[in-house]
Amino acid sequence: MPEIAARGLVKRLRSTQALRGIDLEVPAGALWGLVGADGAGKTTLLRCLAGLYRPDAGTATPGAAGQSQIGFAPQGFHLYGDLTVLENMAFFGGLYGLDAATIATRVDELLAFAGLGAHRYRIAGKLSGGMQQKLVLACALVHRPSILLLDEPTTGVDPVSRREFWRLVEQLHAGGATILLASAYLDEIERCEQVAFLHEGRVIAAGAPDELRRGCATLEDAFLAAM
Amino acid sequence: MRKEFIQLRRDRRTLAMIIAIPLLFLLVFGYAASFDVKHVKVQLAGRDSPAVRAALSRAGSAFDVRPAVAADAAASRRDLRAGAVTVAIVIGSGGAVQSVLVDGSNLLVAQTALRNIAALQSTRTGAPLPVTVLYNPTLRSADFMVPGLVGLIMAFIGIVITSLGIVRERERGTLEQLMVTPITRVELMLGKLIPYLMIAFLDLAIIVGLGLGLFDVPLRGSLALLLALAMLFLISTLGIGLLISTVSQNQQQAMQLAVLIMLPQVLLSGWIFPLASIPIGVRWLSYIFPLTYFLPISRGIFLKGLGIPSLWVPTVVLVGMAVAIISLAATRVSKQLA
Repeated sequence: MPEIAARGLVKRLRSTQALRGIDLEVPAGALWGLVGADGAGKTTLLRCLAGLYRPDAGTATPGAAGQSQIGFAPQGFHLYGDLTVLENMAFFGGLYGLDAATIATRVDELLAFAGLGAHRYRIAGKLSGGMQQKLVLACALVHRPSILLLDEPTTGVDPVSRREFWRLVEQLHAGGATILLASAYLDEIERCEQVAFLHEGRVIAAGAPDELRRGCATLEDAFLAAM
Repeated sequence: MRKEFIQLRRDRRTLAMIIAIPLLFLLVFGYAASFDVKHVKVQLAGRDSPAVRAALSRAGSAFDVRPAVAADAAASRRDLRAGAVTVAIVIGSGGAVQSVLVDGSNLLVAQTALRNIAALQSTRTGAPLPVTVLYNPTLRSADFMVPGLVGLIMAFIGIVITSLGIVRERERGTLEQLMVTPITRVELMLGKLIPYLMIAFLDLAIIVGLGLGLFDVPLRGSLALLLALAMLFLISTLGIGLLISTVSQNQQQAMQLAVLIMLPQVLLSGWIFPLASIPIGVRWLSYIFPLTYFLPISRGIFLKGLGIPSLWVPTVVLVGMAVAIISLAATRVSKQLA
């Protein structure tokens, strides 16, 4: 039984046909990557899966009904820049119905996990780009979701912070989380068990990075060849 | 410069505002907003008097003499308190004017009435006309302005500040983060409304406190009733703010829309310019704003000590408005982006 699934998923955004019948199944505990050029439909697909968009046709699971199981990190830093690290985390914990004691425990755990323990009282808007992305991930994890949907989490982040971020993702994967991550960086997407190439709202190829790379020098060549 | 025009042409809403706001200013200032009170409702008490009616018609067109005659001065006082009339002329047994009672709660209307009432002196010989101004005997501006200001400040907080609430979340991208949590849209809406409701209530307490302590404005009615009806008014204004927030794409648009709604409300609600002086062609606009219904409530409670039996009409209208606006806002607040 897949934890993340799109079946015949179609979504139109104003005059653009963003998704043209996506079929995708991510089994429980898997780490999947989505690759595509800008406008390929990665964000739209993740938003449908997170229940932020209502599909025009087909289904998206978990969707709106399963939001309590989802940890969602949208593209860019979209937390409250005028709140501290601690206040942001406590706010999102509260939205998931956690009590104060549980929030305090989880915040301590997650700040240690993300390496942000020393920055808990800093204003989130003043953190570096890498730290902000870690905070986004920590906020998405505050309710201990089983599913993680990450939309280009390392875009604009320096290489050192990217490596640290991936260390966290791999730890979460080792802990049993089901992760679907969209990225524009083909080098980092190779860390995923399975990768789906998206082009103009369709999955044009999917498989393990080694399978996709077959006959091509790099995954980038494989992606360009598939387009 | 060309770039500015291109951007402006593509931002249709801002373009519409740039054109709509000056037109609205022109229409409201030039046509609707007027200090000239043309209709002062006058009632004769005790008995009818053709001589008094003739004198009033000579006094100018401001007096709108009610055909019905009140039984006595006490009945007229009741009508004055309820706001049904502004001037009551008590006619004595000989047909002469015995006394004149003026409702001072609306400053401009009362001033117009007093200016024109002198014409009645011709119906009396000897002693000067005994005129009594009720509710604001010295016609103090503060007594008129402060109760009105209570409504205006709450409308400002409700509409202008709240209108930025959801649109700010959308602009910062945090709305997406909120929507992916299990909170319901009602919780989302209440989370936006309740803090501003509390702030507005704090403001209300400060204004009332300063009004009473610093400006010596009398509070003749029930403070509890004033607070309860202010809460009702606030709910409708916060709802308007929230509605603006849901239809705007960014904070700039929300602010423009808020100004577009606040300005006519300030000028057409009766806060300064009496409703009676606004031409009927524009006056209908007055009746779509909650402030128009809250001002008689606030002034009535402060200056006349009115209770629900006298204020039920504006109260019922405010209840209807609050329910309609909040329901509409709730349908507009969605938990999905598209």
